[in-house]
Amino acid sequence: MRSILTRLDAGALALSALGLLGAPLGCDETLPFPLPSEHGDGSAPRRGGTLHLATYSDLRSGIDPASGTDQSLGPVHLVFAGLVDYDEHARVVTDLADHWDVADGGRTYRFVVRAGVTMHDGAELTAGDVKRSAERALHPSTPDPNASYFANIAGYEAYSAGKAEHLAGVVVEGRYVVAFHLAKPDSTFPYLLAMHTLRPTCASAGDRYSDAWQACGAGPFELPPGGLRRGTSLRLVRHQGYFRPGEPYLDAVEWTFNMKALAQRVRFERGELDLVRELTDADLTRFTRDPRWKPLGSVEADTTIYGESMNTRMAPFDNVEVRRAVAAAIDREHLRLVQPSRMSVLTQALPRTLWDDPSFAGQRYDYPAALEHMKKAGYPFDPATGTGGWADPIPYLLYDQGLDVYTAQLVQQDLAKIGLRLRLQLVSYSAFLTLQERAGASAMSQGNWMLDYPDPSSVFDPLFTTDAIAPEGSFNTSFYSNPRFDELAGRAHLEADATVRRALYREANAILCDEAPWAFTFGHHTFDVRQPYVRGFAPHPVWPLEVSGVWLDRAGEALEHALGGGLR
Amino acid sequence: MTFFLRRLGWSVFVVWGVVSIAFVVSTVLPGDPARMVAGAQARPADVARIRRQLGLGDPAVVQYARFWKRLVHLGPRVVDTEADPAHATCAVVLPLGGSAVHIDFGKSFQKRQPVVDLVATRLPRTLALAAAGMVLQLLLGLGSGVFAATRRGSWLDAFLVGSSLLGISTPTFLTALLLQYVFARGLGWLPIDGFGATLGEHARCLVLPALTLGVYGAAYYTRLVRDEMVVLLQEDWVRTARAKGLSPAQVVLRHGLRNALVPIVTAVGLDFGALMGGAVVTETVFRWPGLGELSVKALLDRDGPVILACVIVTSVMIVGTHVLVDAAYARLDPRVGHSRP
Repeated sequence: MRSILTRLDAGALALSALGLLGAPLGCDETLPFPLPSEHGDGSAPRRGGTLHLATYSDLRSGIDPASGTDQSLGPVHLVFAGLVDYDEHARVVTDLADHWDVADGGRTYRFVVRAGVTMHDGAELTAGDVKRSAERALHPSTPDPNASYFANIAGYEAYSAGKAEHLAGVVVEGRYVVAFHLAKPDSTFPYLLAMHTLRPTCASAGDRYSDAWQACGAGPFELPPGGLRRGTSLRLVRHQGYFRPGEPYLDAVEWTFNMKALAQRVRFERGELDLVRELTDADLTRFTRDPRWKPLGSVEADTTIYGESMNTRMAPFDNVEVRRAVAAAIDREHLRLVQPSRMSVLTQALPRTLWDDPSFAGQRYDYPAALEHMKKAGYPFDPATGTGGWADPIPYLLYDQGLDVYTAQLVQQDLAKIGLRLRLQLVSYSAFLTLQERAGASAMSQGNWMLDYPDPSSVFDPLFTTDAIAPEGSFNTSFYSNPRFDELAGRAHLEADATVRRALYREANAILCDEAPWAFTFGHHTFDVRQPYVRGFAPHPVWPLEVSGVWLDRAGEALEHALGGGLR
Repeated sequence: MTFFLRRLGWSVFVVWGVVSIAFVVSTVLPGDPARMVAGAQARPADVARIRRQLGLGDPAVVQYARFWKRLVHLGPRVVDTEADPAHATCAVVLPLGGSAVHIDFGKSFQKRQPVVDLVATRLPRTLALAAAGMVLQLLLGLGSGVFAATRRGSWLDAFLVGSSLLGISTPTFLTALLLQYVFARGLGWLPIDGFGATLGEHARCLVLPALTLGVYGAAYYTRLVRDEMVVLLQEDWVRTARAKGLSPAQVVLRHGLRNALVPIVTAVGLDFGALMGGAVVTETVFRWPGLGELSVKALLDRDGPVILACVIVTSVMIVGTHVLVDAAYARLDPRVGHSRP
């Protein structure tokens, strides 16, 4: 017994000592050197290598353009190419299509598919594949969350109701020619078509959706058998028959799912990940302040808008002057400091990606003006005595999603200064969505919206038009209705002239800023950090981690260690 | 035998009750599962179509009846998912002549996979983590507890008791982060998280989460074992054993530890049942793809079939371990068992 206890004694001491030694080892917050590249800047692209990426989310429903969600945007984009795509300036350009034309007063979009495009199964892409893929995606049995975007295609109503065998509006006019006939003219159709939903799939997909289908398209990367380990990882390999000669450069791209931000950082430092975009705020600050790492970071485009949504059918926000007061009372620069590396001040209804016009007035922080609006509304507030304003507490709905709780408290403080007292109500995300979009259920809440496609209609139509109002599931959470705004949004759809469309959207934007169904507050962007050997990467304005033009130029491990970078 | 049949009957009732409560709660909570599937920005027409596809348009009572009808039913011995889509989400659990008993949890709203497949994949991982964590808890806890009890009043006793207090007081996530920082980031000995692709990688990835559970549980068992042993070692029959000339090890292990095992077995049984339900925080922090991680995501996503399957598996595990604990009582102490109500 004595000997046993002695060994236990020694073991306990060793364990304790290890813990004491280990803690300081783990507390070194100095960032290591970036891992060097083998060649200098300006070197030619090289083929080969695997790009390692990670995300805290998961590919919930596999890789299929017909059931894609936000989590699958990046991989789906790499596996499936479309007739058209968004370029680096978010403009619609041809991809699998050689060219297209518009006829019939904007009711027909006719695409000529490039000849000789090889899909992952080795077959040549034809117009028939385009039609079959469109019908598969829009069939009523398909769990496609974006199908209704294509409701303007002629025959959609009958097809989606199961009353027609085929989608009449998509017509194959030759081996390489396919026409989309619309019920009414729509200038945004190319933007919609560049989304994932209707991207061509291989013949193995058939004409009906199946969960068991092995993804197969015409994109730069393909999914090998066993490439998707659900809940764990995804490996895509180069499509050897990709129609753009020489591309992609990478042999493979690998994602690891469900990885926490801390683990991403550690793996990135060790060279096990090559590029990260989900750092903690503290780590983001470290990387952006470190002169060695700062040049390796890049800001993705602002594609999200945030604002305070005010229910225009509930008091006190049924009074436009109260809404104007709110829009003027919120100190957006103050709000931005909640997350300065990721937030930018927003004073209008559109993200800066779409509308970067310094001459546009928008909404501004102006405290005296806010008090004046409260006076005009009939609820004058005296800041010196704290008397006046709206008498009752105003329920403010929010869900716990990190920064929202903090920004809500700042808004609460700002509005208290003009006599509006918010009572914060924290609920789960699913409850938040239900209540926020239910008529009469929420006076005020934080609204946010991410562009589905890079056009103002992606914001205006779902959030602020009268058509978007519903008793339940109303995306128009402010239940705002303005005939002039509706008219402008509708005309913009019909207008083919880009200059005229811009003028229409400018006026619509101005109406929203003035009548303030939302007090627009901030935009939110993602920050990417890459190792120096990751070449050819630039954030895409629409697609997260668009890496089809990336190549790797990593120096050997001996050089990495000699320079003090990397840990593996 | 009657005792165990009675316990089994109660167990079935408990599982039914828990699952029914889970069903009601998940139904009455505000929030639309179809919306969670379609995405926050999916338009109402698309959400409505997906709701119909998921069978969520039916009244709750119909959904409840359908769930129990599908949960255990008779079907073909061999399921051809292509030819027989009605049984595509079933697991065959017991062949009975030409047919077989099927279990069917349905299809996950979010992952669009049969839930039985998800559970079958996740359960062994959770079992491995629970077992490894429990072994570490017992090794460290029993050892430290016995050691502290036999050195009662010494500085080592004080150190171990103090350390166990620290261990119990430290939240699991903090222990997890500390271990990640020291052993993965600092020393680089072990993966910071993940599951790995090979058996060797699985084992390496298992060490830190198991240690996290081990540290917390060991602290608890140290105190439990020490306190029990301190009392028992002062009993008359222990003094008699010493007087008979037994070695200190025999006295401690045979007469002290064995008698201390009854409350320890209770605690182990309860803990293991809870761990089988998934060590939620540990699995999440270490990206260990077990039932706990699955449950949390299902709950956040309002993935009804997965929530109910996790509740069933968890409650069966907990109830099952309780029955086993009762059986262990009878072995350890013959006075307990058959006469219990």
